[in-house]
Amino acid sequence: MAIHILYIEDDTEIGSWVSKDLKDRGYEVLWLKSGEGAVEAAADCHLVILDVMLPGLDGFTVGQRVKRNSPELPILMLSARSSIDDKLQGLQFADDYLTKPFHPDELAARIEVLVRRSGSLGGKPLEIGHLRVFERENRLESKETGSEIILTGKQFQIFMYLIRHLGQVMTKEQIYEAVWGEPYLDGDKTLMVHIRYLREKIELDPAAPQIIETIRGIGYRVKA
Amino acid sequence: MRFQRFPKFRSSLLSRYLIIVLAALLFVPVVIPISFLTSWLVNNTVINDKKQEENGHIVQRSYLTDNWHTAAKQLANASPDQIDQKLRKFKQKYPFASVFWVDHSGMTRLQLPPGRQPAKWSSDDAIQYMKANTGNRDLFAVVAFIGDKPGMKQGFMAIEIPEEYFVQNQITTSNISLFAITLLLLFAFFAGMSYLFFRGIRRRLLTLESAMHAPGEDGLPMKIHTGRADEIGLLEQSFNYMIDQLGDSRRREQEEERLRKRLISNMSHDLRTPLTVIGSHLYSLKKEPLTDQGKQSLALMQDKMSDLDHLIDHLLSYNLLTSGKYAIHRKPQDVLRIVRESAAAWYTLWEKEGLSPDINLEGEPLIWNVDEQAFRRVLDNLFQNIVRHAGSGGYIGLDTEMHHGHPALIITDRGPGMQADSSGKGAGLGLSIVQLLLKEMALGLEIESNGQGTLMRIRPLNP
Repeated sequence: MAIHILYIEDDTEIGSWVSKDLKDRGYEVLWLKSGEGAVEAAADCHLVILDVMLPGLDGFTVGQRVKRNSPELPILMLSARSSIDDKLQGLQFADDYLTKPFHPDELAARIEVLVRRSGSLGGKPLEIGHLRVFERENRLESKETGSEIILTGKQFQIFMYLIRHLGQVMTKEQIYEAVWGEPYLDGDKTLMVHIRYLREKIELDPAAPQIIETIRGIGYRVKA
Repeated sequence: MRFQRFPKFRSSLLSRYLIIVLAALLFVPVVIPISFLTSWLVNNTVINDKKQEENGHIVQRSYLTDNWHTAAKQLANASPDQIDQKLRKFKQKYPFASVFWVDHSGMTRLQLPPGRQPAKWSSDDAIQYMKANTGNRDLFAVVAFIGDKPGMKQGFMAIEIPEEYFVQNQITTSNISLFAITLLLLFAFFAGMSYLFFRGIRRRLLTLESAMHAPGEDGLPMKIHTGRADEIGLLEQSFNYMIDQLGDSRRREQEEERLRKRLISNMSHDLRTPLTVIGSHLYSLKKEPLTDQGKQSLALMQDKMSDLDHLIDHLLSYNLLTSGKYAIHRKPQDVLRIVRESAAAWYTLWEKEGLSPDINLEGEPLIWNVDEQAFRRVLDNLFQNIVRHAGSGGYIGLDTEMHHGHPALIITDRGPGMQADSSGKGAGLGLSIVQLLLKEMALGLEIESNGQGTLMRIRPLNP
């Protein structure tokens, strides 16, 4: 099933180029030139790409309405407004904020992350190294043997946090605070111990980890 | 809003202070006599009552003496029986007294209680008796010739009362302490009043002081409740007025800031939209069959477009910064954490650009008073510079170092140095923004650069 994208953009030139590029990449694109009817149209979509400067209702208002109506629907703001205030305002409801000018590859990559995170891909598992990750079922199995890998609660949370930020380096503080939900004061040792046990379960060779990469001096990363 | 310059005299602190000063001045001439009076009154009422309760009688010397002499006078030419009778009456009235009388011949006639006086008085005895009584402090004796004149030849009569039955007329120790207590109480009252007066003032001043320090929700001090309409009350009113003014100017400033930011946002939008269109066409062109020359031109155009994109960003930030509209909210926080997070975000790009990061930020948090967004902006600009101008060095180092006894953040690269002509060299806006932002956060940037690389040191200006 193709991914349906609602794209709201008033600039004809940019709009036609982006929708063509996205269609070329295999997405179904519905392009609206204003926020009118966006809330209704969004109901059948998997993702919304939203410009900020629109005739009539501005993108922030449209985005908030869409989000209120369909809280699970990922929204990507695509705007020429690059100030930090605009970004912060946008990210209050949107899931991502990309500034123009942008490279279409970057847009596509971000769309992929958002769609995967929202689970719209259905049960399609994510393949990382020798692992197969079923995000919605919270299940993890080995590609080779097909047997499930059982993780403890914290191990699973750490792993899923890194999966959600696939390809991004996350600092120890970010991981600890996301998983434990408390300030990272001296969580260093705790996190290290959990990562070590996690690696023993998921890595083929825990001494030379391939899945969870240590980024010296910063934190960890799971490469796509 | 208009204010009275001076409070009404009646409600002013001055008047209240004058009352206290007046009280202090009147202390000696008024309070001391009052305390005397009080102690005397207390003496006469309370103490006498107490004495009467204890003994059943009070005897006053003058009264007794007068009585005795009157009785003696009445007894002129009286018979011995009459004299006896009179003495018995006295004995009845003062049971604790001893009475006796001696006739003209020196014979002791009636003696109550008996046996204390010689039966027959010689002139020696008389003198002895007088002498004994004058020196005797325990016994008060009144002696009168019967008939109250020496010439009546009827003898004399005497009454003796132990001293303890007399009212004490002189000031005793208990009187003195009573007086001292009264004086002390009055003094304590006066001191208490002064203390309360100044404590009231002090408390209101402290309230005002703490109100100035404690900011409310909007970052301005909160208005305070105005009390009495005296000098401090006026100060409180003025304080509230000042808060109003501050609030107004803050609102104006915020409005201005909002307008300016919107203008900048719109400018950013208006500049970026055509840039995006150009970019989209460049991208489309790239898919067309092109000569090598064409591809090279395209790559150059794309490069310049990305420069332009950054330049717009810098220009707008610079505009905001120099107009003082870039809101910086500093708070003490661990900058190493910010550096790590920023480095984490840049990491993938560094790898892509062939830079190998060398990060040594372990250990103690480095707490500086910074604005997180601004500090990130500084790092972003510096990292961007390294990617664009020092990528050839293939190295980026993040470190801390002790510099003159204080920790500093060190960013190093192995590029051709700042003097080298780099293809991506702009007007240096990025670095100007870094300098401005750091200055706002009381941080300094030192750059040591040569052909082998560049070292950038960020440290607090006044550690």
